[in-house]
Amino acid sequence: MAQVELKNLSKKYGKVTAVQNMDLIIPHNQFLVLVGPSGCGKSTTLRMIAGLEEITGGEIFINDERVNDKDPKDRNVSMVFQNYALYPHMSVEENLGFSLKIAKVKSEEIEKRVNEAVSILGLEDLRSRKPSQLSGGQRQRVAMGRAIVRRPDAFLFDEPLSNLDAKLRTQMRTEIKKLHQKLKTTIIYVTHDQVEAMTLADRIIIMKDGYIEQIGSPIEVFSKPTNVFVATFIGSPPMNIFSAEIINSNNNIKIKLDDNLYFDCTEDQKNKLQNKKNIFLGIRAEDIMPVENNINTSFWSFKRNVDIVEPLGTETQLFITINDKEIISRMYNPYAVNVGDELTFQVDPSKVHFFDKETEKAII
Amino acid sequence: MNKKQFQNILIWTSAILLIILIMTPGLWVVLTAFRPQVDVMAKPPVWIPRNLSFNQFETMLFGGSEGSMGRSPVPVLSYLYNSVVISFTSTFVAVLVGTIGGYGFARHNFKFKNGYFLMIMLTRTIPGISLSLPIFILFSRIGIIDTHFGIIVVFVALNIPFTVWLTDGFFRQIPRAMSEVAMTDGCTKLQAFWHIELPLSKSGIASAGIFAFLISWNEYALVSNLARSTDSKTLTVGLMDFTAQFTINWPGMCALAVFIIIPALLLTFLVQKHLVSGLTFGGVKG
Repeated sequence: MAQVELKNLSKKYGKVTAVQNMDLIIPHNQFLVLVGPSGCGKSTTLRMIAGLEEITGGEIFINDERVNDKDPKDRNVSMVFQNYALYPHMSVEENLGFSLKIAKVKSEEIEKRVNEAVSILGLEDLRSRKPSQLSGGQRQRVAMGRAIVRRPDAFLFDEPLSNLDAKLRTQMRTEIKKLHQKLKTTIIYVTHDQVEAMTLADRIIIMKDGYIEQIGSPIEVFSKPTNVFVATFIGSPPMNIFSAEIINSNNNIKIKLDDNLYFDCTEDQKNKLQNKKNIFLGIRAEDIMPVENNINTSFWSFKRNVDIVEPLGTETQLFITINDKEIISRMYNPYAVNVGDELTFQVDPSKVHFFDKETEKAII
Repeated sequence: MNKKQFQNILIWTSAILLIILIMTPGLWVVLTAFRPQVDVMAKPPVWIPRNLSFNQFETMLFGGSEGSMGRSPVPVLSYLYNSVVISFTSTFVAVLVGTIGGYGFARHNFKFKNGYFLMIMLTRTIPGISLSLPIFILFSRIGIIDTHFGIIVVFVALNIPFTVWLTDGFFRQIPRAMSEVAMTDGCTKLQAFWHIELPLSKSGIASAGIFAFLISWNEYALVSNLARSTDSKTLTVGLMDFTAQFTINWPGMCALAVFIIIPALLLTFLVQKHLVSGLTFGGVKG
């Protein structure tokens, strides 16, 4: 149990800034996920919390105690690495008990805690194996077990699943979530995979170039992205972004996508957009739906030929072109669509996102 | 007989021939050590020994029994003592300093790092014997000629570059995450080194140790200049004691040679499993 607090934290490597003025409070028991493309500073942030990376500026507090100058060993956090970093010369049991041995914990207590971790993670049959005799998933489990036995204030996970194959990754993801529910400890988890971020997190931080782009619950960052980057990073497929123009004539505001495609603004949108000229329009694939005949007149609609059809089972992705840009529409309850078919697509205006063209920030 | 069998036979025959070629001089040394001088000097040569004895070893170690060649002219035990002290001490120091150096080069970044490394390696390109005269003059000026200390210093200097190079490679193989996870596991930097990185690189360190030991144990040219008396002469230099003005006591010399070979051989056997690396396999992603 611990609250982790970052105050104005930054990290520079020479002239390159990896993390820029980061302010953050992670309350007790929160599962926080730092997500972003590679090089966004998420791992650096995690390593600074662990004490493996010098802090260039700012402060880190764990349980209200300033830990800037504390060695990793004195911070009582456990880290799980991407490559597991199990000690190859020790058995599973020795790997698990190592931190306690170093801390000079009594051997009965070590055994008790190792047993506990072994049963939580289902490693009973592997106790005396060496890491080289384990599969990827088993190694991952041992690495987590090694973190558990210390009973740390916080767990730090650095892309722990990225070395596993897709099936195992899904499985381990669930296990990590279960583990969090069982242990009730603060977890800070770094990943570049937005699906992992969405499924695991209580709160997500999306980072880019050392800055925090948005903080929020998975649903918040998905439904109310604060800028174009977040909108396209979270969600799969990425949100469709159109460059659009606002046409304001006689208090009738229209959104112009291309010469033949205009949408009428709703009353609500008029207030937002009346002073704008150029904007980005964002629509998620699932909000551009093909319709057969039950056309809703309050929705925006347009006709397009289908370029590519990608059936995925529960849904089908249709690729269409608007203003030379490839757009994805997601169709549920699929029916047969052929390449070249002309379909009518509908968009619920209330599900549309607007971003300023210059700042790329959401227009609220 | 198919092609594969033929290949196998070819490989085995050439391997055996090669081994015989390499082993023959050694075998001849061993045989000579057990044969009487008459046999050794016989013309035409006696290929198959007619009688073997331990006389040479007895004479060498215990001063000889009644009726043999009399008291040993060569103080082998003093030489053995010198060899052991010099080889073990210089190996220990070279491995200690070299390992620390190798770790430093592998794990830390500092200015002119590559330059330093190159400089250390370049010292290996100078043939040791070319230094014997300067070292002799220097050592005699500061008064450490003919001492254990002087020879140890030379051997340490000779062995450190190789140790640094070898251990640097081994430490590089160990992922950094290994010591980092140890540190978040509660270790100090030193504990992480001691409990994790050192055991993982022990095959490298053992190899470095063996090489350093063999170089010290077998070195002849430099020591023959620096060692003047029984105070510091090593076994290899002692070999020359078997030469007199007109004669060479070949069986005696060979007996001492056998005596020199045995510990080196034993040690190599003991540590050979560490000479095979690959211990870190499996610790990280597989």
